[in-house]
Amino acid sequence: MVDEKNKILSIENLVIKFTLRGRELTAIRDISLDLYKGESLAIVGESGSGKSVLMKSIIGLLDKNGYIDQGKILYEDYDLAQFKTENDWLKIRGKEIAMVTQDPMTSLNPLKTIGKQIEEAVILHQGLKGKSAYEKVLQIIRDVGIKDAERRYKQYPHEFSGGMRQRIVIAIAIACNPKILICDEPTTALDVTIQAQILQLLKNLQEKYHLTTIYITHDLGVVAKVADRVAVMYAGDIIEFGKTDEIFFNAKHPYTWALISSLPQLGEKGKELYSIKGTPPNLFNEIKGDAFAPRNPYALKIDFVERPPYFKVSDTHYAKTWLLHPNAPKVEPPEVLKKFFEEGRQYANG
Amino acid sequence: MLGYIVKRLLQSVVTLFVIITVVFFLLRLLPEEGYLGAAADKMTPEQQEVYLTNLGLRDPILVQLGNFYLDLLRGDLGKSITYRTDVPVIDIIADKIVYSFAFGVAAVALSIIVGVPLGIFMAQFKGRWLDRLGTGYIVFIVAVPSMVYYLLIQVYITDFLNLPMLFNEDKPITWVLPLISLSLGPIASYAMWMRRYMVDELNKDYIKLARAKGVKERTIMFRHVMRNAFIPLAQYLPATILLTITGSIYIESLYSIPGMGGLLVDAIQRQDNPVVQALVLLFSSLGIIGLFLGDVAMALVDPRIKFGKGESVR
Repeated sequence: MVDEKNKILSIENLVIKFTLRGRELTAIRDISLDLYKGESLAIVGESGSGKSVLMKSIIGLLDKNGYIDQGKILYEDYDLAQFKTENDWLKIRGKEIAMVTQDPMTSLNPLKTIGKQIEEAVILHQGLKGKSAYEKVLQIIRDVGIKDAERRYKQYPHEFSGGMRQRIVIAIAIACNPKILICDEPTTALDVTIQAQILQLLKNLQEKYHLTTIYITHDLGVVAKVADRVAVMYAGDIIEFGKTDEIFFNAKHPYTWALISSLPQLGEKGKELYSIKGTPPNLFNEIKGDAFAPRNPYALKIDFVERPPYFKVSDTHYAKTWLLHPNAPKVEPPEVLKKFFEEGRQYANG
Repeated sequence: MLGYIVKRLLQSVVTLFVIITVVFFLLRLLPEEGYLGAAADKMTPEQQEVYLTNLGLRDPILVQLGNFYLDLLRGDLGKSITYRTDVPVIDIIADKIVYSFAFGVAAVALSIIVGVPLGIFMAQFKGRWLDRLGTGYIVFIVAVPSMVYYLLIQVYITDFLNLPMLFNEDKPITWVLPLISLSLGPIASYAMWMRRYMVDELNKDYIKLARAKGVKERTIMFRHVMRNAFIPLAQYLPATILLTITGSIYIESLYSIPGMGGLLVDAIQRQDNPVVQALVLLFSSLGIIGLFLGDVAMALVDPRIKFGKGESVR
């Protein structure tokens, strides 16, 4: 899968800053990330880790006070980091990169029929009009698993349940006929049974429409279900990335360990669930060394002084932690995790 | 939809009935001199008594109420006593209402034509100079009593442009300044509300989704935001238009416009009970009709309003 030729999007040394009340905040700190055609990549991290900002920068929807300070976002012949005007972005938004937003309850215009809202995208990006646009919309409504398309076309968002609305939001994204689909916490607002359906739907659509998908989520359960690869973000940096199995069963960064340990499934009955001590760093300040060091029980002295580079674990798996340096002391992941990793590996090997 | 309208209509009728009845009883509490007028001094107490009995004021109260409603249904609002003695109230009102309504509707039209786009532009350029200028204007209008700028306009601008100071029906140019004065306030409030609703809508998630699907900012404004932002205004528009017939006391007295503005106050001061009664009835009915029309207008533009049971499908 790691094939330079199949790169569809490539982020290089991206730095994104925000101006807030005269002060500067660095939300994305020198990130590089490649996206390969047809894969589904999950970006995980806690709130404020910058995963949404990163995705918004790809589609040109950063808040007004945010800007790209350095770096490139290469997509086909464009460097999206250089895009300034609305007209630049209109070449990309929807047409090439579409987005499924987080909250289906508020993501649809309450005063327009859902048919019209899907049709807007069809007309805009597929060059269809009138009858053929209408037919296309019906087909998309059916594609996202909604029955009785003709009747549904004429209905308003308030006549749909949450899960159904999320299907419509997905339908709108699909209607743009994009190459890349960004799903920003697509299931956070839904209940568990609906979550599974929506994820399955996204997977099916990915195959049917040959999409490359990016999931932004803090739900490791979602990651396990849909992702081929995972990138773990902390304080505006990708601190570890690899194939899903590699992250789940052979994680190397202490933050990833902590993240997986927080899974309720790993908790012991009667004991409090694991939570990471401390708070994420203040992004207004310059971060020295490893951003996770102050909360990291395995932190080395160097973690507080110098920012770790990526250390290679396998061809597809890299982690930014000094623990992987040949001179570092041998550190084992916590007991619970070791057991979990072991079981996972056995399961993965059949 | 029809069911909804009928339901609202019935509610309005009931409300109207309650108001009319309350007004009727309130007016019976007023001193009876109001029915005698200037003639009171020339009459002996016995003559007064006969006069009042002839008017039906000595009948049992419920009989009076019944007669009142019967007259009302016949369109008879009684005759003025002191304001213009023995002239039917309805004629007095008809003479004056034309001016107030003409000015009022023109002012509402002008306020919407100027105020709504102003609000839209302010929202679109939020925080920039146009927004600040508009905000300054709104703050000025809200903070300064309208009488002050009405007067300034009348005194200085008529002088500056060499216009006649008073209203003259036959000279269209004398319509302009009262109209503009009358619109300054509503322009500010339309701009303020429109800006606010636009900003509210612009921050909503569906706007983000519209952007993400590659819709142009301008199209988003026209196709998504404006209509949604206009709904709250649409609800109050009919009432606003209808109630312009109450006229503006300030403007009408400043420019000597023979409108409705001072009529209610005059009638109360002169204790002209039939006129007071008719005016209160008129204003409250128009208010209720306006609100009813507003609700219907809102139901027409907003699909989320349910039209009774069984019609929403999930």
